Amino acid sequence: MSATVSDKTDYDVLNVVALKKMATAQVVAAACGVAQADVEATFDRLAAQGLVVVAGGAALPTDGAEPALATAAGVRYAAVREDAEIGGLVDRFETVNSQFLTTMSSWQQIDVGGRKVANDHSDSEYDDKVIARLDKLIARLGPLLEALAGHDARFGTYPARFAAAVDRIDRGEHEYVSSPTLDSVHNVWFEFHEDLLRTLGRERTE
Amino acid sequence: MADVLAEGYNVFDTGKSPSGTVKYLESPADVISLIQSGKLAEHILLVQGGTTTFLAPALSMGAIGVITMSGAPESHLGILSREFQTPCVMTAYLTSSDSRYVVGNTDPSHFDEIAKALDGRNVRLDCTDHEVGRVVAND
Repeated sequence: MSATVSDKTDYDVLNVVALKKMATAQVVAAACGVAQADVEATFDRLAAQGLVVVAGGAALPTDGAEPALATAAGVRYAAVREDAEIGGLVDRFETVNSQFLTTMSSWQQIDVGGRKVANDHSDSEYDDKVIARLDKLIARLGPLLEALAGHDARFGTYPARFAAAVDRIDRGEHEYVSSPTLDSVHNVWFEFHEDLLRTLGRERTE
Repeated sequence: MADVLAEGYNVFDTGKSPSGTVKYLESPADVISLIQSGKLAEHILLVQGGTTTFLAPALSMGAIGVITMSGAPESHLGILSREFQTPCVMTAYLTSSDSRYVVGNTDPSHFDEIAKALDGRNVRLDCTDHEVGRVVAND
């Protein structure tokens, strides 16, 4: 019998674990707004259902996690999937996402005579332009995030996380652009994209 | 000259040339088992998709090299591999085969052929070229 996640806390916690692929209760609590003690109790419940494995204090999703979330999302987000306004915003998101990936690559690598070389970040003018582009792309997510938050308040965590990362970048902590081990702009964007696809019941198109 | 088994996009130029036994990872469970085995650093990881998101824990836990059978260096996995400085060859194809990945129109047999040919082989990744990443036989 396949496990189910009909409870909202179970869904929200498992969703974050599946997005992060490996996460401690503290990290999950910060990302979904559930108290840490409740996240720990939820880890136990999800582990008993075979949906996560807890190793070294972090939860990892099992092969059963994605199907369970997909089934639950079909019910939980039926109204989102039928919302024409969101549909239109999502279509535009695909274009913005492509621009985001290209911009992120241009943060990591610069073009020198047709050859991509690692950006050593010695050209602050270049870096500032990339950061300004990222700011604009994040701003373009605003209407979609707002519309989604109208259906489920948890989507309101994304603007707050983007704002926190951008604030750090503005203070000179440029690792908050793309570091995979911080709540960087790239990580937040990636998690939002995955979350959006699950919410809508869609697959990646890349 | 060493035998080049496969070629693909080189995600970033690097002098790192990791060697290991290719391990084909099909699911999150495969990644979890590999991490728990403590033998992550012995393997070059082979996955089907460039959008294979379940590989992230392996990268953060110290994967030494990655081969994908689809996807572009601008994808999420490409961005992650550059961040972790993990050599990565994307959309690899067998040099001994005419079969190539085509976005949205690739028969599953293409992936099966590559997985069958590379899984278990002792290889080295050559990521020194600015465009082409190579999977070179060690065995």
